[in-house]
Amino acid sequence: MQKSTIQFLLINCLLAFVLVSCGSVTKNYTLKKLDKTSYQVPYFTDSKTDYVYKTNITVYGHEISGIFIAKKINDTTHRVVFTTEFGNKLLDFEISEKTFKVNSIVSELDRKILINTLTEDFRLLLKKEYLIQEQFENESDNIYKSKDGNRDNYLFISKNGSKLEKVVNASKTKEKITLLFSSENNIFADKIQIIHQNIKLKIELNYFKSE
Amino acid sequence: MKTKIALLILFISGNLFAQEQKMSDAEIAAFKQDVNVVSKKIKTLSTDFVQYKHLDFLSKDIETSGKMIFKEPNLLQWQYKKPYNYSIVFKNGKILINDEGKKSAVDIGNSKIFGRINKLIVGSVSGNMFDDKEFTISYFKLKGQNLAKFVPKDATLKKYIKQIELTFDKEEATVVQVKLLESSEDYTRIVLKNKVINAKIDDSVFTN
Repeated sequence: MQKSTIQFLLINCLLAFVLVSCGSVTKNYTLKKLDKTSYQVPYFTDSKTDYVYKTNITVYGHEISGIFIAKKINDTTHRVVFTTEFGNKLLDFEISEKTFKVNSIVSELDRKILINTLTEDFRLLLKKEYLIQEQFENESDNIYKSKDGNRDNYLFISKNGSKLEKVVNASKTKEKITLLFSSENNIFADKIQIIHQNIKLKIELNYFKSE
Repeated sequence: MKTKIALLILFISGNLFAQEQKMSDAEIAAFKQDVNVVSKKIKTLSTDFVQYKHLDFLSKDIETSGKMIFKEPNLLQWQYKKPYNYSIVFKNGKILINDEGKKSAVDIGNSKIFGRINKLIVGSVSGNMFDDKEFTISYFKLKGQNLAKFVPKDATLKKYIKQIELTFDKEEATVVQVKLLESSEDYTRIVLKNKVINAKIDDSVFTN
């Protein structure tokens, strides 16, 4: 009985520790001198490439799957299309850092809150350059802090391989959106996850290997 | 030289002209009859397919492929095998999805568009399609093929699909290509090949 109580307390302490340490993004990282003032993201930047991904979206327990397509159509803008596996177009956006245009959207998805959330996500996903103000490090990554309006973006770049593996979009106190990238060649991302901390939304993209 | 070019132009334009020629009323009747005769005999059908998703802004079509299986009266399975495993079964008013092992079910009542597509695909292999009151249909002749174009009358359906084109093999009178045109200039083209008609197919195939 006593043993299990101790175990319970230990787990609680551990849990409390984990929760506290999540409070601030950089809390556990060491401040470093800046080694660069900007970072260019390699993914989604080639205007000749059709970026096509099998997609699974989990939103408040509901699953939606389909095909995510992104293409850089000019210096500043990407065309983003989401279709079903059958090819029916569900949404068609044009997004740049400052502009946004809906070419088409099916009525079932035509909700302002959803469009705003997806725009924010896609903008972060397709962002090509970050201006760096601060730099940190942990064991495995160099972490760059880049101001983004009221929020900050933290870029996690692996020390081993110099790959962009994670982007955390956070307010002063809380993480809001996390982007996880897996890339074999550092030119495009084979697998991407977009995870929201404040709403139950997760988007998973798996690169389409054509033969 | 000039004559050669003129001849070439004539040849090409003649060819273009020959590509799609409107059927006469008698030809329409004969074509419908042929399709009906063949489709009445179809109890089961399985076919490989290649799907080409064409979006105007992309440098190439997105290609996926797999197998389609149909069994009378309305069991249908679309199974994508490349580049991913995704299978969708239409059965008893339900859609069963298996997405890389992740399973889910949708009531067709909630997904009218799927219900209509199902009806359309089943209709196109079973021959009930031409009596469908939901479409305005026009008929064309191609080289060795017949083409039927279906324009939805319903405004809701029209929002998703501007036109459906079914291409039939002239000899076999069965569908060889399905083309779904969206409201913009984008479309999905599905080519059917290695068709097997009336092989024994167990109902258990249509589980997901």
